Amino acid sequence: MDAHAPSIEGYFPVPPAPFVPDATSAPTESEAKESTPSLLGQPPAVPSLTASLLAEEEVFSPRREASRFGVGLGLAALYGVSLGTRQGGKAFFTHAAFVPAALAAVVALGVPALYISLALFDAPIEPPRAIAVAARATARTGLVLAGLAPAAALFVVSSDAPSSAAGAAIVGLVIAGAIGLTRMIGDLHKAISDAPASTRAKADFAFFGFAIFAVALSARIWWAALPLLGGAR
Amino acid sequence: MSAGVLRRLLRSPADIAACCREDRDTRAIAVTSLIAVVLGAAAFGGVIGSFRGGAQIAYAAVKIPLALVATLAVCAPAFHALAAGLGRAWPMRSIIALVLAAAGRSSLVLLALSPALWLLFDLGLDYHAAALAAALAYGIAGLAAIGILIRGLGAGSGRALTAVAFIGVFFAVGGQSSWILRPYLVRPKTTQVPFLRAREGGFADALRKSGRSSAGIYDRASVRSIGESDRMNSTPDQVRAFEGSE
Repeated sequence: MDAHAPSIEGYFPVPPAPFVPDATSAPTESEAKESTPSLLGQPPAVPSLTASLLAEEEVFSPRREASRFGVGLGLAALYGVSLGTRQGGKAFFTHAAFVPAALAAVVALGVPALYISLALFDAPIEPPRAIAVAARATARTGLVLAGLAPAAALFVVSSDAPSSAAGAAIVGLVIAGAIGLTRMIGDLHKAISDAPASTRAKADFAFFGFAIFAVALSARIWWAALPLLGGAR
Repeated sequence: MSAGVLRRLLRSPADIAACCREDRDTRAIAVTSLIAVVLGAAAFGGVIGSFRGGAQIAYAAVKIPLALVATLAVCAPAFHALAAGLGRAWPMRSIIALVLAAAGRSSLVLLALSPALWLLFDLGLDYHAAALAAALAYGIAGLAAIGILIRGLGAGSGRALTAVAFIGVFFAVGGQSSWILRPYLVRPKTTQVPFLRAREGGFADALRKSGRSSAGIYDRASVRSIGESDRMNSTPDQVRAFEGSE
């Protein structure tokens, strides 16, 4: 009862600082002396919570990946809430439930199938790696959806034509989905970079199939369930 | 407001961009940039409003900074998320400082272009040429903003894609919020100027309608919106001119 809930940083420990300054944007020495004297003694940048959320972990932790997955779904629900602002009332909940539902469905149905396909092709990806990649992709997609939520609310509320509001909603879903999916496949690609060329080629085939499935399933759920897109009527 | 930051905004965009990216001095940059946004956009708005004069000067001087700040407020979370999604998971405050710095620099450019634009209006520019001149000023200011934005994204993969995503989101949100707050440029003969025009679709609808009109296709709804008697007495060119008076 009295146990403290761990903070979100506990689930997502801070990764090493990712930034390396580039030569093109670094000020010259004289410029720095002249224009930024007060900056010299300041502490280095602290990695953001976002960086922690999307960081690749060395050691697999089911609890951490589950948290990451949950945070991703929660962030995606914010986008659903913004879509619900057009109709209000029950639509808030319907959209908030079904925007993340598509992500959950893709992970629940698609990732095991993808793992089985990759195992059949003898691709060197173990379940923990596949789970971690899927959780990170969900978090990334949810993060992008949450970031686009204010813009989506603006368009959804201020557009007269239902088709314009639906179009704005679809653009956000497509952008976030595309970013999450391409990054997920990129991470999986990286994981099998040492495999033989024939295995990688077969894995590419599996990735392509997964991508088609993910797009089709998400679209099916969103079109069927989101009132803004004509579903759930 | 810091004169040093203002000077760096104009002369050393790379320095400002690096500070935002490395989360250094972001408070001073954000505050100074926000003040520059409000003042620069207000001055530019005042000039735009002076095309008609009277109350429209004050209206436009209020609405243009309002539209810009509202756009930035809506865009900042999207920029943060897109940057993170595309490989730059930076703190939100870094993104906000970067966006404000870019907007501040562009507003300073608008401020600099305002006297020239006012002179052109004073020399008798017609409505369409005035709209073009204002759009050109916006374009120049936008280039100044992009200079900071691109530098702020730093090196690494996905830089161009992130910049394109930022610009796409900014144009879409900026277009919509500006559309909600119109009119800005009003014909001198207009007798009554509302602070806000009645809601007529959205920015995307207007683009689509204008595209169809320019192809000689006039939707019934758009023709009806200028009034039945006006429609009866208007040529297609007059209808198009009315639709363009935003």
